[in-house]
Amino acid sequence: MLTKFESKSSRAKGIAFHSKRPWILVSLHSSTIQLWDYRMGTLIDRFEEHDGPVRGVDFHKTQPMFVSGGDDYKIKVWSLQTRRSIATLVGHLDYVRTVFFHHEMPWILSSSDDQTIRIWNWQNRSLICTMTGHNHYVMCAQWHPTQDLVVSASLDQSVRVWDISGLRKKHSAPTSMTFEDQMARANANQADMFGNTDAVVKFVLEGHDRGVNWVSFHPTLPLIVSAGDDRLVKLWRMSETKAWEVDTCRGHFQNVSSCLFHPHQDLIISVGEDKTIRVWDLNKRTSVQSFKRENDRFWVIAAHPEINLFAAGHDNGVMVFKLERERPASTVYQNQLFYITKEKHVRMYDFAKNTESPSMLSLKKFGAPWMPPRTLSYNPAERAILVTSAADGGCYELVSLPRDASGAVEPTDTKRGSGNSAIFVARNRFAVFTQSNQQIDIKDLTNSTTKTIKPPTGTTDIYFGGPGCLLLVTPTAVVLYDIQQKKQLAELAVTGVKYVVWSSDGLHAALLSKHNVTIVTKALQQISTLHETIRIKSATWDDAGVLLYSTLNHIKYTLMNGDNGIVRTLEQTVYLVKVKGRSVYCLDRASRPKVLTIDPTEYRFKLALIKRNYDEMLNIIRNSSLVGQSIISYLQKKGYPEIALQFVQDPQTRFELAIECGNLDVAVEMARQLDRPKLWQRLSVEALAHGNHQIVEMTYQKLRNFDKLSFLYLATGDKAKLNRMEKIAEHRGDMTSRFQNALYLGDVENRIEMFKELDLYPLAYMTAKSHGLEEEAASILEASGLAKDQLTLPKLGDPIAIPQASVMTHSANWPVKSTSSTAFEKVLLGQEGDGDELATANGYDEADLLEPDTTGLNGDGLEETEEDGDAEGWDMGDDVEAEAESDFVNVEAADAGAGSSEADMWARNSPIAADHVAAGSYETAMQLLNRQVGAVNFKPIQWRFEEIYQASRTFLPANPGLQPLVNFVRRTVSETNTRKVLPLIPRDLESILATELVAGKAQMRTNKLEDGVKSFKKILHLLLVNAVSSPTEVNEAKKLLYTAAQYTVGMSLELERRKLINNSVDISTFSEDIKKRALELSAYFTIPEMDPQHVTLALFSAMNFAHKNKQLSSALSFANSLIEKGTNAKFKENARKIKAICERNPNDVIEIEFDQFAEFDICAASYTPIYGGSPSASCPYDGSKYHSKYKGTVCKVCEVAQIGAPASGLRLFV
Amino acid sequence: MDPYSAEGELVNIHSAFHQGQFQKVIDFDTSSFSSENELPARILKLRARLAVCEYSEVASKLKGDTSSPDIIAASILAEYLKAPSEDSKAVAKAQSLAAKEGDNLNVQLLCGSVLAHSGAVEEALALLAKHQGSLDAVALIVQIHLQQNRLDLASKEAVNARKWAQDSLLVNIIESWVGMREGGDKYQAAYYVFEELAQATATQSVQSLLGQAIAELHLGRLPEAEAAFEQALQLEPENGDVLANLIVLNTILGKDTTDAKSSLERIKADHMLLVDFTEKRSEFDKACDKYSPKFEA
Repeated sequence: MLTKFESKSSRAKGIAFHSKRPWILVSLHSSTIQLWDYRMGTLIDRFEEHDGPVRGVDFHKTQPMFVSGGDDYKIKVWSLQTRRSIATLVGHLDYVRTVFFHHEMPWILSSSDDQTIRIWNWQNRSLICTMTGHNHYVMCAQWHPTQDLVVSASLDQSVRVWDISGLRKKHSAPTSMTFEDQMARANANQADMFGNTDAVVKFVLEGHDRGVNWVSFHPTLPLIVSAGDDRLVKLWRMSETKAWEVDTCRGHFQNVSSCLFHPHQDLIISVGEDKTIRVWDLNKRTSVQSFKRENDRFWVIAAHPEINLFAAGHDNGVMVFKLERERPASTVYQNQLFYITKEKHVRMYDFAKNTESPSMLSLKKFGAPWMPPRTLSYNPAERAILVTSAADGGCYELVSLPRDASGAVEPTDTKRGSGNSAIFVARNRFAVFTQSNQQIDIKDLTNSTTKTIKPPTGTTDIYFGGPGCLLLVTPTAVVLYDIQQKKQLAELAVTGVKYVVWSSDGLHAALLSKHNVTIVTKALQQISTLHETIRIKSATWDDAGVLLYSTLNHIKYTLMNGDNGIVRTLEQTVYLVKVKGRSVYCLDRASRPKVLTIDPTEYRFKLALIKRNYDEMLNIIRNSSLVGQSIISYLQKKGYPEIALQFVQDPQTRFELAIECGNLDVAVEMARQLDRPKLWQRLSVEALAHGNHQIVEMTYQKLRNFDKLSFLYLATGDKAKLNRMEKIAEHRGDMTSRFQNALYLGDVENRIEMFKELDLYPLAYMTAKSHGLEEEAASILEASGLAKDQLTLPKLGDPIAIPQASVMTHSANWPVKSTSSTAFEKVLLGQEGDGDELATANGYDEADLLEPDTTGLNGDGLEETEEDGDAEGWDMGDDVEAEAESDFVNVEAADAGAGSSEADMWARNSPIAADHVAAGSYETAMQLLNRQVGAVNFKPIQWRFEEIYQASRTFLPANPGLQPLVNFVRRTVSETNTRKVLPLIPRDLESILATELVAGKAQMRTNKLEDGVKSFKKILHLLLVNAVSSPTEVNEAKKLLYTAAQYTVGMSLELERRKLINNSVDISTFSEDIKKRALELSAYFTIPEMDPQHVTLALFSAMNFAHKNKQLSSALSFANSLIEKGTNAKFKENARKIKAICERNPNDVIEIEFDQFAEFDICAASYTPIYGGSPSASCPYDGSKYHSKYKGTVCKVCEVAQIGAPASGLRLFV
Repeated sequence: MDPYSAEGELVNIHSAFHQGQFQKVIDFDTSSFSSENELPARILKLRARLAVCEYSEVASKLKGDTSSPDIIAASILAEYLKAPSEDSKAVAKAQSLAAKEGDNLNVQLLCGSVLAHSGAVEEALALLAKHQGSLDAVALIVQIHLQQNRLDLASKEAVNARKWAQDSLLVNIIESWVGMREGGDKYQAAYYVFEELAQATATQSVQSLLGQAIAELHLGRLPEAEAAFEQALQLEPENGDVLANLIVLNTILGKDTTDAKSSLERIKADHMLLVDFTEKRSEFDKACDKYSPKFEA
């Protein structure tokens, strides 16, 4: 039992749950009615209008009101909105015991000590029915949840079932009714002794030996449960016509006060004055659970109509509780979720396919019935699960999962034991913690203890702590414990940790307690912690290192730095198990997997910001509507004004941000737009701080701040500007300013002039005098009409020179740290160009790549498989022998000497040359190649031999002091039969297609023919010594082989041509022979079978070459072919032009040996045509054709095989 | 009490040795060990120093020390490893010591190593067969069998060891060696053993990381193997075995290996990979000679 809420008060007599809100009404013996929020644990309101104890309360199912009945004989109806009593129903003549609203009619049912049950209409506040018949206090009366029935319990020892259909008919909306109908209705119900047909007794259930305190209907079945002072709980069943006692639940040893059916499960719950809550199995009528309170007698019990909650009222208040944990036991391994359903079946959910497996196991017999397993731990190596249950003081069971989910089978081979927690700590070890004796046992898979650990005292739970470690949870701390070294590695003070969730990379863990999430590293260093006011239920890690957690009503996220926020709200509590992209996978309380969609943009953005992953940020900004005021203020708050700047349009905000991040250029731009003095003012201060006096100057000008401007010019030594300032001052007629400027300029005459203008002759005189301008002084004296001796002068010192700026900085700014564009800005700017380039490049490559993939199957495949079948038949026979032999080998035969290595097996198992190479048997490999493709020259493929050999062996250091153990790398990874193992051959077909072929074709396109020839020859060599994985691939390989040979020939002869004429276009200077040959070669280049776009290239170059050299007939034919087959519109356009020109005079200057209409091959050695019918030889490997005179020499194309040698064909597949 | 049992003094140093944490062994504080465990601990430390190639240091330190056959055996091994060859004087010394003190476990292990390394496999096996319930000896025997390609015998030894030593660390490691030859599901099992050692900070070592990486390579999980090699290289950038195996991986991935090869040549010129490579090259040339290609002039 899990207590969720407890209140302290006087005796609680009546309880009601609100169906939607987390509210509970409690009526007390002290005349008060309390309204509690049991989730937050707060008292919402008190209602105190009753006089004396209040025994019954009920919420209305849909309307904001409730009803109460008390010992003042009154029934009161209350409004939840005004929190006032809105009606008082008077009529009972003694204590009112219970009151209930009808689920659809505006009725209230009340039972009273006056021996009556009454039905009231709360809308018109009238009594509509009085049911009499009990001859003692009626303790309880309840509506049937669906039918027109009422059940009542009385101290007269009987339970009565009443039929109220008459009442219902009477109060239904009046319909037109014939007289007959009315008569029929009047007679249908047998009138009771008072002639009352509205409510009649249907059944009287007698069986209790003492008074009956409580009775309730089953929510769906025709069952009734009653509880009485005879300490019994009785179960009754009824049909249309009768009702009978089914069974009795014995166990209470004092009066039973209240009882009810579990709303969803086959359980009965009863409470009594023996201070116990008891849970009974409805089907077996056996006790399932009981809970005892020390001092408080229980008076009443109520069930929440929807969720799995109960409330019981006792002598000192109320308790709200759950019978069992609703957290489904589950565990995630890679893409699989293993969980236990409500039926205790083990199931698997596949995140990749989003499918739920059928049940794999049934754990019906595990733990106690009605008690779901608590935890589940999965071991992928053994495919086993470890389940724990709280039953019997804690027990665990180790079960291996079946290979295929075939239904809820009972597990066959189980290991079990007792303990509170059990988790896998390694592939073949699990830890079992027993709280009672504070001991952790490390056990192996046979369930025998291999090690025992004494955890720190007060340990309450254990969790996986990373490889070889455990996290021990105590009420105040978490301890990281190394199992092997048996010591504490770290300890962290965190209180009340209940769950531990590891990130998928195993580097971080989240410690969840009721209201806190603490994120720690794997070394138990705290990274961040956060507090939630509402209960935290579960958490899971995003792959990027964001923790998502669920509270009772939200899914939230937290980043490592403690930033958190709400992702979405929840309608019902769920337990998160995994996040993948926009999907959150979770289990609900019914243990069903659910997928919720979330918008991860916000936390991804914040994460990208922290990691300074600007590409990602940009991507998010582009693809979502994230940017808003909130994100800007977030960026600003977090100290990223420069990034925020990128998103803002509003000039005012932009200005603020620019000032903040010191981006003066932007600030100036924005200030110009806005042009407000205040902004200029701020800009000037900021620019001055930067030493950017050009901007300062500009702002001062804008602000017309002349004084400061002058001073700035003085400071920067800008004499010319100072002079201008003086002019301006004169123009403005501002004497002070003029004087100041003159002072700055050291312009004495001007100053004297000014004093004279202002009639300040003494000052003028003094100025002149002090600067040694005697003449001037004399003239002033004269002008003022004074004589020299009339004046008393103070002693004069030397005139002070005006300090000058030592460095003339006005021409340029102070060297300011350049406002380098941030990485983010760079990304912003650079993005587009790069992206486009990439896209085009990709476009080409993909187009080329696609070709080889589209090759279909052909008949050859069939042959191969048949061969295989035969071979397998033989192998089978050998296997049997081998096994028989090995049985006789025993350890004593150790002196039998060395055996044959796996490499030898490879050579034995395979007819493929590559496998022999890997085996190190070069000689046989060469033999094979010689037989299969007539290979004679092995030098060009030496590198390939070495590559394969080198990739076939690994070196595992074993005992120090000895050579490392050589192990053999297989391509048949899952094969263990030594007759079938084969070596890994590096560079499979797929990688050749993806690398060399793509490179070769790109080189063709980009006209790097030397490299192209190398690439295609490399393909030929790679394929020659190789192995493929299927007959289909054999065909693909052969096709590739042909392609490579064709390209090699084509490119080689084009290279030959270029060599011949030194790459020039104009060949008029060459001899006739060379001219002819060059023209021929250029024509032959169009013959090899290349991709259409490459043939187009060849045709185009041949056409141009012919056209330039006046071979108009040839050019015409190439142009025609180009128009017909070409893939390039521009080329075609050209071709049409040339065609038009050539058609006027289709003649060749030089006769060349090229008949465009004849079928012929090109000799790969002489680059001359071999017409059909003339003798020729071909390379047994790549199939290139030669004139018969080359027979016996090494092929020019592959450089390995001997032309015309007898060959059986290359084997690539076993 | 068995000093190697779970509660014994030697268990941690012994485990560390077999997990390849040689530095940890060398630094191990053995001052509190009881007197009868002092010598085995010292030998373990010497073996660890040999494992990190301090051959000359060990040899000179032990020179003339004849206090016990164990020490003599250690000095023989040091002398041998300094210049391993079949006709080294150390081999003869080992043979004579083995004849005299054949019942001493450390003599078995150390001289057995010398003999096995020098190619006197039968003698080594005969010497090691005298062991009485020593997993170290079993480990050597298994390795010798594997080097002889007697997988059947090796796996029998491993199965036997499992019977009496249950689930000790070394048994797991031995099984992994055997498993790496058997292949199939055993690759995965071996991977688990190595990974378990390699990924726990307390037991991590280049050797276990390398084991993990090789197992992954054999399982065809190349990117994972590459990551494990990286991890190993971070721990010890100049480890010959790591480099050699990395060359193998890169070859499989089709990457260029010339740089790696030249650095391997610098670090450990006598590594099997390089020796083998040169050998094979001459074999290739020999095989080529059988064919006389004719080129068109």
